[in-house]
Amino acid sequence: MTPLLTVENVSKSFGGLKAVSGVSLNVTQGEVCSVIGPNGAGKTTLFNVISGVLRPTEGRILFNGTDLASVSSSRFAAIGIGRTFQNLALFKHGTAVENILTGRHTHLRSSVIDAVLYFGRTRREEIAARKQVEEIIEFLEIEHIRDAIVGTLSYGQQKRVELARALACEPKLLLLDEMVSGMNQEETEDIARFVLDIRDELGITVLMIEHEMRIVMDISDRVHVLNFGRKIAEGTPAEVRRDPAVAEAYLGGNRSDAGAKVSA
Amino acid sequence: MRSGDFKQSYGELVALTDSRPVWLWSAILVVALIAAPYMLNSYALSFLIIILITGVGALGLNILTGYTGLISLGHVGFLVTGAYAYAVTVSKYGMPPIVGFLAAGIVPALASLVVGAPSLRLKGLYLAITTLAFSFIINTVILEARTLTNGARGISVQRPEIFGVSFDSDTAFTHLCLGFAIVTLFATLNIRRSRVGRAFVAIRDNDIAARVMGINLHAYKLFAFVTSAFITGIAGALYGIYLSFVSVEGFPFLLSIEALAILIVGGLGSALGAVLGTILIVLLPEATRFTFSLFSAQMDALFSTGAQELKSMLYGLVIILFLRFQPRGLVGAWHDIRRTWVNWPLRY
Repeated sequence: MTPLLTVENVSKSFGGLKAVSGVSLNVTQGEVCSVIGPNGAGKTTLFNVISGVLRPTEGRILFNGTDLASVSSSRFAAIGIGRTFQNLALFKHGTAVENILTGRHTHLRSSVIDAVLYFGRTRREEIAARKQVEEIIEFLEIEHIRDAIVGTLSYGQQKRVELARALACEPKLLLLDEMVSGMNQEETEDIARFVLDIRDELGITVLMIEHEMRIVMDISDRVHVLNFGRKIAEGTPAEVRRDPAVAEAYLGGNRSDAGAKVSA
Repeated sequence: MRSGDFKQSYGELVALTDSRPVWLWSAILVVALIAAPYMLNSYALSFLIIILITGVGALGLNILTGYTGLISLGHVGFLVTGAYAYAVTVSKYGMPPIVGFLAAGIVPALASLVVGAPSLRLKGLYLAITTLAFSFIINTVILEARTLTNGARGISVQRPEIFGVSFDSDTAFTHLCLGFAIVTLFATLNIRRSRVGRAFVAIRDNDIAARVMGINLHAYKLFAFVTSAFITGIAGALYGIYLSFVSVEGFPFLLSIEALAILIVGGLGSALGAVLGTILIVLLPEATRFTFSLFSAQMDALFSTGAQELKSMLYGLVIILFLRFQPRGLVGAWHDIRRTWVNWPLRY
């Protein structure tokens, strides 16, 4: 099976600091894939490079057979890469609906002049977009907060609105950056269920950064482990759990019971 | 009392408002404004005209500064460009006023590309300084391009006649300004509720997330500049016609500050705020003068001699007071009043 996303030997340096060095990974269509690693391992930088926020210093990234180096950063959404951010990046003065509608941007066509006139094309387009947004709202069970200003919502709710906004882009590949950090048990389980539904019902491939090991081990098909900007392991959750290099990255040293924390 | 949503179609969800009273009161307001010139004396009418023209300009700046979050200190540059575009095409080359108004929009829009393009990578203070420089450069260009603009002598402008309708009288001219103000208000509201307006607000609130959503930052910042300059230019043409004389001195730098004061006092990023702010800021100097004249004639005289200086002091004062006590502006105060009214006797 050809991979949806191929990261080949990608490095990203900031001045003298090499945040990501020579990382390669494949994400196959229909997978839920996790990237884990200790703080500062370069996970978010890798995501920024894949989603076009940053450009790689070396290496190349193929998405659906297209080299992303030839795609301008504002076109990443249009070719099918959606993402959420580690620290919320919502448009905080708008309502949840408005935020999610913004995600529809690349699927709408109105020009400035269409927008000024509004009637006709723009109105039809807005109605269709609104309908799709309502479907996403229903899917993620956020009906009750749809008209709330997102700045006033709780952290967990804002994360969910952000997920909705990313889904509104209709991505082929969804990048989730620490979705469940700061969430309680129940919210975390909800998100785990949504991630599986996103893959199974919407057919979207998911690549997620996660610190919460339970969700990683429970729902991932493959896990990639980064440490100090390098990839140190890859495999199914069970394989990664047994990998001594992973245990060492998380716990340091070479202890025989080091796997305990990862498997907990 | 209305409680909950009873919308039955997606069309209702995207409508400007689903409230009948809002439409009704807006219609009553428009009728009152149409009737106003027949009731008001010419002194009061001059304030109405200024409010309508300033309102168009404020809505123009609102698109750039309120929605997109790009601060411009150079909007007086677009006003003066619009006024000259109208004066040159209509007064100097005798073209029909419709062409003049189009030019008054298009020429500043083109100028905004020149100032906007280098501003794409600038934010906040740096952008403010760049636009400020633009407004001074424009003044110099106008003064030097004597063959086109008569330099410092200015161009006198007649009230227009459009499709056989003369807008010579103050009454008719008020109606013309009212028409422009209503069209601008609807254009602004329509932009705001479409993909374009959402892109503007997204750039203001979080530009990285906006780009990840597929919004082309450069293109949309330029769209904001162009739309804003187009509307502001038309306000400039109206102001030039109202003054019946277009010159660089007629458009002092204070107008840029006044426009920003309007947006801050009204509430940044809201069309309603721009309208409310315009009314307050235009009437403020007059209201202050009136209040002081009640105490002594000396004060009154002081206001007529030092009008400009006192105006800028007043603008400064209201900006500070609003930022301190009501940072969301008049529109924020309005929302608070409405919420209290609806929920009374409960707190929330």
